[in-house]
Amino acid sequence: MASYTLQRLLLLIPTFIGVTLIGFLVMRLAPGDPAQLRAAGGLGGAGGAGISLQKRGVVDQALAQWRAQFGLDRPLHVQYAIWLKNLCTFNFGDSFKDNQPVWSKIRDRVPVTVRLNVLSILLVYVVAIPLGIYSATHVNSLADRVTTLAAFVLFAVPLVWAATMAIVFVCGGDFLYLFPPAGLESLDFASDWSLWKKLKDQAWHLFLPVVLLSYDGFAGLSRYMRSSMLDVLGQDFVQVARAKGLAERVVILKHVLRNSLIPQVTILASILPGLIGGSVIIETIFSIPGLGQLGYESVLARDYPTVMALFTVSAILTLIGILISDLLLAAVDPRIAFGRRQQ
Amino acid sequence: MSSKQIQTGSVTPVNPPPSSSPATGEKRGGGIESSPAPAASAEGLWLNVWKEFRRNPIALAGFYAVCVLALTALLADFLANDKPYYLSYRGKTYFPIFRSYLVGARLGQWPPELLNVDFKKLEGAKAFFPPIPYRPSNIDLFAPYETPSKAHWLGTDKLGRDVMAGMIHGSRVSLSIGFVAVGIAVIIGVILGALAGYFGSWIDLTVSRLFEIMLSIPTFFLLITIAALLPPSIFLTMTIIGLTSWVGIARFTRNEFLKIRNLDYVTAAIALGVSNRKVMFQHILPNALAPVIVSVVLGIAGAILVESSLSFLGIGVPAELVTWGSILHEGSSATFAWWLAVFPGAAIFITVLSYYLVGEGLREVLDPRLRGLR
Amino acid sequence: MRKSIPSRRLASDLEMLRRSWRLSLALLFCLGCGGGEPAETGNHETQKVAAQEDSATPVTGDWLISHALSDPEQLNPLTSNDASASEILGYVVENLLQRDPRTLDLKPYIAEARPSISQDKLSYTFKIRRDVHFQDGHPLNGEDVLFSIKAIKCPLVNAPFLRVYYDSVVDARLLDEYTIQFKIKEPYFLNESVLGDIGVLPRHYYDPLDLLKNVTVADLQKPPAQLPPSVKQFADNFNQNYSRNPMGSGPYKFQSWETGREVSLVRDEQYWGNGKRGIDQAYIDRHLYRIINNPDAALVTLKSGGLDEMGLTPIQQVRGTDSERFKEQFKKYDYFAPNYSYIGWNNNHPIFRDPRVRKAMTYFTNRQQMVKSILFGLGEVVESPIYFFRPEYDKNLPHYAFDPKKGLELLREAGWRDTDGDGVLDKMIDGKKTPLRFEIKVNSGNTTRKSVALTLQDELKKHGIDASVRELDWTIFLDDVQNHKFDAVMLGWSMSVAEQDAYQLWHSSQAANKGSNFISYKNPRVDHILEQYRREFDPKKRIELYREFQRILSDEQPYTFLFVNKAVVAVQRRFRGVEVLPVGLRPIEWWVPRALQRYGQRLTAN
Repeated sequence: MASYTLQRLLLLIPTFIGVTLIGFLVMRLAPGDPAQLRAAGGLGGAGGAGISLQKRGVVDQALAQWRAQFGLDRPLHVQYAIWLKNLCTFNFGDSFKDNQPVWSKIRDRVPVTVRLNVLSILLVYVVAIPLGIYSATHVNSLADRVTTLAAFVLFAVPLVWAATMAIVFVCGGDFLYLFPPAGLESLDFASDWSLWKKLKDQAWHLFLPVVLLSYDGFAGLSRYMRSSMLDVLGQDFVQVARAKGLAERVVILKHVLRNSLIPQVTILASILPGLIGGSVIIETIFSIPGLGQLGYESVLARDYPTVMALFTVSAILTLIGILISDLLLAAVDPRIAFGRRQQ
Repeated sequence: MSSKQIQTGSVTPVNPPPSSSPATGEKRGGGIESSPAPAASAEGLWLNVWKEFRRNPIALAGFYAVCVLALTALLADFLANDKPYYLSYRGKTYFPIFRSYLVGARLGQWPPELLNVDFKKLEGAKAFFPPIPYRPSNIDLFAPYETPSKAHWLGTDKLGRDVMAGMIHGSRVSLSIGFVAVGIAVIIGVILGALAGYFGSWIDLTVSRLFEIMLSIPTFFLLITIAALLPPSIFLTMTIIGLTSWVGIARFTRNEFLKIRNLDYVTAAIALGVSNRKVMFQHILPNALAPVIVSVVLGIAGAILVESSLSFLGIGVPAELVTWGSILHEGSSATFAWWLAVFPGAAIFITVLSYYLVGEGLREVLDPRLRGLR
Repeated sequence: MRKSIPSRRLASDLEMLRRSWRLSLALLFCLGCGGGEPAETGNHETQKVAAQEDSATPVTGDWLISHALSDPEQLNPLTSNDASASEILGYVVENLLQRDPRTLDLKPYIAEARPSISQDKLSYTFKIRRDVHFQDGHPLNGEDVLFSIKAIKCPLVNAPFLRVYYDSVVDARLLDEYTIQFKIKEPYFLNESVLGDIGVLPRHYYDPLDLLKNVTVADLQKPPAQLPPSVKQFADNFNQNYSRNPMGSGPYKFQSWETGREVSLVRDEQYWGNGKRGIDQAYIDRHLYRIINNPDAALVTLKSGGLDEMGLTPIQQVRGTDSERFKEQFKKYDYFAPNYSYIGWNNNHPIFRDPRVRKAMTYFTNRQQMVKSILFGLGEVVESPIYFFRPEYDKNLPHYAFDPKKGLELLREAGWRDTDGDGVLDKMIDGKKTPLRFEIKVNSGNTTRKSVALTLQDELKKHGIDASVRELDWTIFLDDVQNHKFDAVMLGWSMSVAEQDAYQLWHSSQAANKGSNFISYKNPRVDHILEQYRREFDPKKRIELYREFQRILSDEQPYTFLFVNKAVVAVQRRFRGVEVLPVGLRPIEWWVPRALQRYGQRLTAN
């Protein structure tokens, strides 16, 4: 087991390099020069708009200087190597936009995104697991069919549509005003409010974003739970348990559930990378200052250091998730760690 | 579970049939694996599949919906156009829509009296127009943000462009992106998956690392980055969606190849000296295709979702193109114009749902174990 | 106080902001530079009524909660780039001279009087007021002014465009503790205004180690490699450590900035200018900028009382702000911002070389209707590059109404016909049959320009002209524009309310090397006029020169001039002193009568 763990850990390294390299290449190879953005637009200049040629030289020199300052004039592999080296000391560099250290920008926003996603994951599990269990234990009943159909329907609802409909119909436009259209907390949020009031306010603001982030999870996870339970239910040992005379409820809860729950944990591996990308739409629509919004704005602003940092953070999260799920599986199913493929 | 389907940009759902694990691709504790019996003949298999498929009314409904959509996309120019089918003018008859095809292909010319005319304003003409007598690009600054009415069935957007026309022509964009993107994903995925599953050892190791890399990348984020930084073009969008979503297909293919590779008939073929390439693509692949087909169908739906998300954010779509996502984008900022939010979203929803139903229907037919449980 | 934002800032800021349509809305209300005519909608009456109700004497107190579409990028007074930062910094840092908000004349501010100018116009001497102190109590003198110009001229400070603006300053010297003399490279009628724009920064705060002490302004003209290491040390420190903590001599102190939520300024009760004539008095105790990215959410917040002031988007102006309830609470003010948008035709392009084609394009553009439908009436068609409300603008220029027939005529005259019946006009140019097909480039994020381009495209199609519209990300767009890789571009220029110099845009020498005359316009008579103009110090003669200049441009249509934008701001009715001025709105003049004040018990001055 220990050697398996070590093996997995070591294998993480090439993956990590691969991910960051891809992100790096995409940003650097894309056309467009971030110096132009940084040095104020580029077209404007002295007097009533426009910039005279003599001054153009000064500007170009300043732009070149800015590029040199951020190391953008070095060859690509050198830039990547430098970035990796800095990474070892957790130095993500300074943002192009405002010279703030990237790490602090990310750090400020992590709690927001984490809050949103953790709540969403919790909601998904709380709703989907029981649904899946019920479906599996009442296979092909009306309830099962309805749930399955509902799952499909939910799965097919595009997030952009659901979010837009929410904004249009229930967030204070021409129709109903049930939820706030933006932000995490009311504007007159005061630190001396009672805890209850604060929680209520947060819940009111987060309700729509969390539900929107979760609804396709309801569908997916419940279906997955259902099919994995059905798998287990079809196995011999379940028949044995029933034959032994155990009550159905005990059979389900003690034997079947334990075996079918474990794979659900592996789902975490696919959720974690979604943390940053997934929130982009919701955070943009609802003006929530999280990592997704930061990523989107940084891409548009060609803020290379921040984009790279977000890529890296996402990669790390995913790799951790994959590692955990693999380790969990290996712990549970010895065949994986010790038995190699028959080839 | 593909709970963050769009968000991970993984078009082919990461929700595999329970026989393979998400991360390592190893077999897990589960049921008894039964490999699909090799088909006696390809045509026989698919005919059976179709017969089985037909028995499922919901999946069938989905299939018909997909056909309707495909037809709409194909016939868009005949459903929504500012030119009439048939025109009788000053004693002569013309068929302007057909003529425009000819001219576009440089096989014909416009007669001088019809050059750049507004067909709706020709005096003394008898014309027979398509049900929606507008093209999505027809701007009418005098009729912005019209609510749905007889003149504009689904209303207009801020430039007075007819929404129904936009949706009909938008289906072309959505479907073609779906097909091309998934096509690319299939080619890459099948080849890599086959190689990994067949040869094993270091090839498998490398390809598995590649899987991990692709899975670790925040795909949607990557899509946004590429689409936002490069000049917008439909081809680019199609390609990058395809390039970031082949992993699911590859994994299924790999698993199937792993399973099938150990079967007797394959061992026999190899022993007989059949070349690796032939074994892979002539013997194994046809039997491994089942999950791939399902992935393709679901993948098209996923690609449509991703594309609409991108154009909703305003990236990746050229300025002149009207797509479902771009209309929705307008709807999100002009919230009083509810018709801009409701209809294109509904179209995406129906399309995606139909593909899902077909995909699930296919899976139920093709996956032997589920069939066993019925 | 830097409320009249220097134009070079605006131009660069504007283009950057126009990248994002949402950000570009911040411009509309943050600029505060606009219309020459006083407000139309009767706010004079409101003022009179208010004056009768409460006494006309302004009192201090209350807060003004304004809307910001996004965080300012940073608040370093020299390196910051965007309009919202400029507005905030305008309260904190003050300039040597200021433009009188009503007459637009230059008037002394930190300087005691307007500068004395040498005979050869190469030397400007300013006497500094002796009673000014910074917000931390430290007195202000010539050292600080000298430091400010040094910081601007320092090539290692990240402010290239600002530096360029001051390029003609070759030296600055203190004649005594309160007198500073600037030496200029060549005579230029705008020099006084440029120098007056210098924001005075506290040396002890921004250069605590006095690293620039022994470096002169003349020294700073040298290439960066030759500068002493202390300069680099200063520049690094300046660039990196002052993004979120500006300090100056202005009436409002920077209090706090919570990213994504709000920026807060508090009134300095010890402001040096309290009670002094000619200096803006501040009444509102706190300026709070609430950051709300989504304009619809902001409108909801405004209506529920969370905001006092907000710039409305064109749609919001027309919908959602007309109910009785809204009108009871808020008053809408509109004014023109000093900018204009245009379509720039590549004058070197085989199709657009011919002025008749360009004129035809203008006839095909239904600018009036675009203002009505796309701008929702918030704009005015313009026919020249001069700011609409300046005296130089020629109101008698021929107006190009929407007239496709005339456009077609012109094209026919220029030799365009559809010879092959494919629906697109063509002509033999340089021996090749060329169809009238071209591409209009627009930068992404600006929905107005995109709408204009698409509308034009649709109209052109009806007449046999095949135009395509291409939206590009800003940096790529910029590259293409500067390297003349375009057929037509849609852009805008912003100016200040003050005079401008058209040399950069229209002189033929400015076409090469990424100059601002990127459409490559060449006209020898125009060149001559522009050269003369720069040396002309008599305003009347300048007006005449510009009249001729505008007439030539109108005839040749190197750009198709589109419109000047109007901004609309909704203000809570409890504020008094709200007036639309030539420079726009000036919240510093606003105050709230005691009885109506909403906030104020929690004034915490640091």
